[in-house]
Amino acid sequence: MHTTASSTHYRQRARMGVILRHVVINCFVLIILLPLAWVLLLSIKSIPDAYTGTLWPENFDFSHYGYVLQKIETLPRNLFNSIYVTLSTVLITGICAVLGGYALVHLKVPGQRIVLLMLLASLYFPVRVVSLISIFEIQRNLGLINTTGGLILPYVTLNLAISILIMRSIFEQIPHELVDASRIDGCGAWRTLWTVMLPLITNGLAVVIIVNFVTAWGEYLLAATLTNDQAVRTLPVVLASAHGGMGQWSWPRIAAVYVIAITPGIVVFGFAQRLFFKGLIEGALKA
Amino acid sequence: MTTTTPEISLRRAEAKPRQRGSDMANWLFLLPAVFFFISYMLYPILRVLFISFTDYKYLSQDPVQFIGVRNYVEAFADPILYAGLSRAAQFTLMFLPGTILIPLVLAVLVDRVRHEGVATFYRIILLIPAVIPGPLIFVLWKWMYDFQIGPINYILVNVLGIFTPQTAPQWLGGTSLTLPAVALFEIWWGLGYHTVFFLAGLAAIPRELYEAARIDGANEWNLLWRITVPRLRPIMAVLVVLRFGSAMAVIDEYLIFGGFNRASPTYTWTVYMYDLAFKLGDWLQGYAAAIGWIGALSMMIVVAGLLYLFRPQDG
Repeated sequence: MHTTASSTHYRQRARMGVILRHVVINCFVLIILLPLAWVLLLSIKSIPDAYTGTLWPENFDFSHYGYVLQKIETLPRNLFNSIYVTLSTVLITGICAVLGGYALVHLKVPGQRIVLLMLLASLYFPVRVVSLISIFEIQRNLGLINTTGGLILPYVTLNLAISILIMRSIFEQIPHELVDASRIDGCGAWRTLWTVMLPLITNGLAVVIIVNFVTAWGEYLLAATLTNDQAVRTLPVVLASAHGGMGQWSWPRIAAVYVIAITPGIVVFGFAQRLFFKGLIEGALKA
Repeated sequence: MTTTTPEISLRRAEAKPRQRGSDMANWLFLLPAVFFFISYMLYPILRVLFISFTDYKYLSQDPVQFIGVRNYVEAFADPILYAGLSRAAQFTLMFLPGTILIPLVLAVLVDRVRHEGVATFYRIILLIPAVIPGPLIFVLWKWMYDFQIGPINYILVNVLGIFTPQTAPQWLGGTSLTLPAVALFEIWWGLGYHTVFFLAGLAAIPRELYEAARIDGANEWNLLWRITVPRLRPIMAVLVVLRFGSAMAVIDEYLIFGGFNRASPTYTWTVYMYDLAFKLGDWLQGYAAAIGWIGALSMMIVVAGLLYLFRPQDG
């Protein structure tokens, strides 16, 4: 810094600026965290306290979590449905995105420009809303209405385009020379992808996995439209229709279900956040 | 194993940059993606376009009749469609500026945090709402705004005393406050995610640019408007267009909050389409399909305008 007479003054002003900046940022941090803290608190309030609306309860009750998992008959089923649908979707979309991204960048595929243009165009079109009528028809013709597994097929497309585009920009950072070298060493396109590429795309893959996990885990519109019975539904649909009543569905108990529902996403993100940020900078922003 | 020097492979790559294994067999790699893309995106959209020119009903035994543009003629005379489009546009206007500008400011602030650990901490907190799926966010805020247990009205009535229980605002449920209330929590939801987006853009701006401008006597305000904002323009363009698209086509929130009350501000063109197709006894899919396509096309017109507005200018 400058070694002038005003340097102390300058340093003081800079210090004030730093403090002010952190105060403002922390206000935003609080705004983000408070609603989540509130629902967490609601899930451990005693039932009478939950209904008065008081922010800080007089009595805590930690039994709601055990209660909802044991006493609400369909809940373990809904939880299982969500896990099943989500993992299948993430796996299938992940495979589509890696293979597709690789082919669009490092292989010569007839018509790849058209595929790329269609994927890009689909990002701007309200596909989810407009396609709904036809997806209902397809699922009915396939006999997949009111089945949990049937949801996986439309779920794969929810983030398909963006996932392929993310992987594409990740693959674009791998020099073609690497692919050529591997080919000259006798590797086919598949082995090149599997042995040479895969270790280099983990950051982008983390982004794709998290994005698809979050969407499939929380999907509401298709699940609510294509299923009817509580037992085949996923957790978000059950939660969206739940309103605090008495007994099983009293407020702190619904809140406990809610906390169970949002935890997996946060945990997965927590573990993968380093990869996620790297992947976001490498690829997602150029997609 | 063939023995080649790196130079040879380099030269090959330069000569034919994209000519690798020109083969239909390479289509195998694109096949899974294209299969899903066609069967659950492209085909459904075109199928709905076809349905919009018919009197199609799922439940009807009668053969489907091709009726030309009759659904469209009817739709263009339908006041509910216009109300629906106008409500979606109102929501977009409430939502879009906040969801772009607030994260931009926050990103500029967080970008200057030099302490690596603190910066990481901020980024993780910011992204927590982004890893909670949308519908679960809507459920949370439905409770936040709740009359009985919601903390927002509790604070307004019991803590601040601005309202009495009788005059307390009814946020959701089809009042004039509903769209602003939805816009508010949508901004909350996107706050962190968009900030991280801008942060990645800021990280790509060379520090020397700022140093040089400071030496030339520019103050912080000049730096923001002359360097930061122009450099973030491409990212801002992507966010504006994508968020415009998601805001105009919002449906889950409105189904969860507003239901099918036609007087509610949440009864937009998307809800109208859903109502016609799946809820009303008649199951008028043909007409619903036309509503869906009209909504989509009106959006596309604005998207084209936005893309033109944000076209690259340095060329």
